[in-house]
Amino acid sequence: MSGSHPPIVEARDIWRIFPMPAGPVAALREVTMEVSEGEYVAIAGPSGCGKSTLLHVLGCVDTATSGELRLEGRDVGALSDAARSRLRLEKIGFVFQRFFLLPMLTALENVELPQAEAGVPPAVRLNRARLLLDYVGLGHRADHRPSQLSGGEMQRVAIARAMANRPRLILADEPTGELDQATGEAIAGLFDLLHKDGTAVVVVTHDPSIAERAQRVLRMRDGRFVDGELA
Amino acid sequence: MRALAFAWRSLLRRGGRSALGIVGIAAAGALMFDMLLLSRGLLVSVRELLDAFGFDVRVLASEGIPQSRLPIEHALETARALSALPEVASAVPFRIGEAEVAADSDRPDEVALFAVGATTRRIWTVVDGRDLSGREDDALDVVVNHRLAERMNAGPGTSLELRGRCSATPSILPPITVRIAGVATFPFDSGAQLTMASRFEVLDRLCERPAGEADLIMVASRPESGPDAAVDAIRKARPDLYTFSNDEVIERFERVGFSYFRQISTALAIVTLSFGIVLITVLLTVSVNQRLGEIAALRAIGFSRHRMAADVLWESALLVGIGGLAAIPLGMALSIWLDAILRSLPGVPATLHFFVFEPRVLWLYAGLLTGVALGAAIYPMWLVTRLPIAGTLRREFVS
Repeated sequence: MSGSHPPIVEARDIWRIFPMPAGPVAALREVTMEVSEGEYVAIAGPSGCGKSTLLHVLGCVDTATSGELRLEGRDVGALSDAARSRLRLEKIGFVFQRFFLLPMLTALENVELPQAEAGVPPAVRLNRARLLLDYVGLGHRADHRPSQLSGGEMQRVAIARAMANRPRLILADEPTGELDQATGEAIAGLFDLLHKDGTAVVVVTHDPSIAERAQRVLRMRDGRFVDGELA
Repeated sequence: MRALAFAWRSLLRRGGRSALGIVGIAAAGALMFDMLLLSRGLLVSVRELLDAFGFDVRVLASEGIPQSRLPIEHALETARALSALPEVASAVPFRIGEAEVAADSDRPDEVALFAVGATTRRIWTVVDGRDLSGREDDALDVVVNHRLAERMNAGPGTSLELRGRCSATPSILPPITVRIAGVATFPFDSGAQLTMASRFEVLDRLCERPAGEADLIMVASRPESGPDAAVDAIRKARPDLYTFSNDEVIERFERVGFSYFRQISTALAIVTLSFGIVLITVLLTVSVNQRLGEIAALRAIGFSRHRMAADVLWESALLVGIGGLAAIPLGMALSIWLDAILRSLPGVPATLHFFVFEPRVLWLYAGLLTGVALGAAIYPMWLVTRLPIAGTLRREFVS
């Protein structure tokens, strides 16, 4: 079920049930999985199968209705909201389909933002933000605002932002969903690079060309993994 | 980037909307600032006026409005007795009346007449000629204000014919001729008022009042004793009279006479305060609702609820703070204009002001604006802190 390294994330018997007017809907049903350090996992499946919900639960932005979630061995369910925020800030990097860069900040400032929130001194975070923009190939666009960047460039900045606090886990929700194929390939190449540099990556995607780059592909249907966890 | 800098950039991002909020707060703040100036302005101004005379205690024969008060009998003797008290520097009996002077036109002019007992302490300041004297030959001397001197085209040495107005109608007694000794400024003068001061003898002859009666005795306490000690000493010496220090007079005004201004200014201040809160709440709520996805993303990358609330609070503080600062010069200008309108009402002393600046107004204003900033931020802060991160990201994706 996992790689050879110790698990960063362990999910056991996770259920996520949403109360709906027509009755409760189970988005996740008894999901069990692990992500090891430095592992590259893709979660694939049709729309509405629970991929994003699983990513949200793994990323501690949503709480499972039942089941156990451990991050680096810590029981996330026992943490306060503030502690979960701190955990996300320091241990997890998020990449969203819609980038969610702040339009009033430059690319450099967007990358600095999580570090500033973590209390990193200005000189240190500025240096790291520049390095990260170079890493994603946008060093020359550091002073541009999101409105001056293309979709692919915005997603690169978002990836640099996700890496800002040296997280051990990157969670990406349809990171190429709003990009053309060539740009998507370039973004996928960046995830390859992150993985090679030792960061665990979990990508939720519809795109088979992205999924096939992962070490493991988990296919979901109706809130469950198909054929157990591995496909 | 800390919350303040972040909030500043957020406001700049929506410059038009932020400017609208600032202008709104500046307008509401100016009105609120003026209401604070008005709430105590008249009181402060009256206090300054009372203190300007150099008398800090007033002695009356009865309470009530001036028209219904009993006169103090044997006022000259009473004043002399009060002056002898160790706490009292001087006591001056006053009588207030009205007279008519014959002008060029057919209709005579009404004159406010202050009659004083023989003393050297005055409530007026002579600017031309000389003051009233205690000599027998000068018993019918008067000092007049500038307006009366100009109106009568008269000056020191000129004679005037004076007829008393001892009730609502002119006296049937024959007019008397008085001589202008000097021209003076009177602190209680309104812009159009004709004023004259004389010794008791003038008013006695005009109205045939019993000699030695006064409407009030104004007392100056000795600096080493102070007004409270003087009031206590007078009350002990003459328990039949009503004695008040300036503080007590002001306190009574505050309780009764000027409470209307305070009530009006409180009501208007509450309205402007509410307007400011609603305006900023609406602007911030619209702003928060337009960037729910961004806020959810920031929460997802690790921004705490506390931090998100601080961003909104700083946005509110910046809008209210900038608007509030702009409101001060605006409010000052507006208060000068409104003050001029109110002071132009008939009978209002020219030195009296309705809008008076005190340093405490600034503190109170800052406190109220802080309340506006906090009050306006409550609902949008609640929105951002209660925002479900996953649900919002999902909705953003679906939309």
